[in-house]
Amino acid sequence: MGKKALILDGGLDDGALTRGPGEIAAVALRRARWRVEALVLREIDVAPCLGCFGCWVKTPGVCVIDDAGRDVAGRMIQSDLLVYLTPLTFGGYSSELKKALDRSIPNISPLFRLVRGEVHHVKRYARNPRVVGIGVCASAPSDPEEEELFETLVHRNAINLHAPADGATVICVTEDDEAKRERIERTIEGVIGA
Amino acid sequence: MSDGGGRVLLLVGSPKGLEKSNSARFGRMVVDRLERRGWASEAVHLHAAVRTEAGRQALLDAVDTASVVLFAAPLYIDSLPAPAIRALETIAAHRRAGSVSRVPRFVTLINCGFVEPSQNDTCQWILRRFAERTGFEWLAGVSLGGGGRVPKRVREAFDILAESIDLEILVPDEVERLTRKPIMPSWLYVVVGNSMWRRWAARSGVEERLGDRPYERLDS
Repeated sequence: MGKKALILDGGLDDGALTRGPGEIAAVALRRARWRVEALVLREIDVAPCLGCFGCWVKTPGVCVIDDAGRDVAGRMIQSDLLVYLTPLTFGGYSSELKKALDRSIPNISPLFRLVRGEVHHVKRYARNPRVVGIGVCASAPSDPEEEELFETLVHRNAINLHAPADGATVICVTEDDEAKRERIERTIEGVIGA
Repeated sequence: MSDGGGRVLLLVGSPKGLEKSNSARFGRMVVDRLERRGWASEAVHLHAAVRTEAGRQALLDAVDTASVVLFAAPLYIDSLPAPAIRALETIAAHRRAGSVSRVPRFVTLINCGFVEPSQNDTCQWILRRFAERTGFEWLAGVSLGGGGRVPKRVREAFDILAESIDLEILVPDEVERLTRKPIMPSWLYVVVGNSMWRRWAARSGVEERLGDRPYERLDS
């Protein structure tokens, strides 16, 4: 049985920005013999995180909100690779992608530890998924500062969520298809081959 | 001194709202200082505002008439909580539609549960890009760590910040110097923090279950 990838599609509105890049990522992963599942987050009713810490100190590992957010969090930690697919939103994630990420904090422990001198949370699970970030910008050319910001954000998330490997790329919707494909494939290969 | 004619809009991006959140408490500390200088204020809870069309319109109206927007939120995984991002998306779409000519000043106040204020840097970067790309004048990004504690030096920083906003002068580096230092060494925060989490879990009778793995993979 191959390894499992979960694509979290954080596209807004009709999803026009993220649909194509998501398909490119899925094809690349299947070619590498990965099983691929995709969640179109705008079609899933996930309530916002309450910031109550109940998932840490009342029902450890499970969000206190009984909705689809629990299922999404479970699928995330049971994957070997997460693909964060999002319209580039000031260098960060869309609200649709972030609603799922916010609800995934039950998957880490509340307890603290030091990582290179900085406070972070302890692992809850022995195995944690690798992370690939794909940011899609609507207008060309993409902003180099926001590309750097997006890569920094994905890497900082990887530290906090214990991803053993991570990588990110930003593509422009106006780029030709071959350029998009090459960039996405190279980023995925860099992470799954690490 | 200014003539006290400004209007500050406090946007609170915490799910705990205007009454119970640290974000609102920190934001109020700055707003109170401005009110003492004659400023008018308004506060909007972003989680509530973005849920309805009427709430989104009220948010946009408030932003359009503000002299200064003070954006106060907690750090959620190196970024903002999802509804706060939704608010940014909504404001950006409105301002890009081209009907707005005012350039409000934009100040951010991000707090995190880690001891190092520097852990807010990525979130502050996102907010600065938002401000730059949507027609706000970026004034300052103030980062707080330590999960809600406000030492005297941070209150001094708020004094300086409010004075700078009021006088329409650059925010001095002193604000960053006063807020950037962690409230205690990181190693000590780990010890104190872990004790707090265990006590908190014990109150719910789950101290021994803190490490539960309810979604453990069957093939692990």
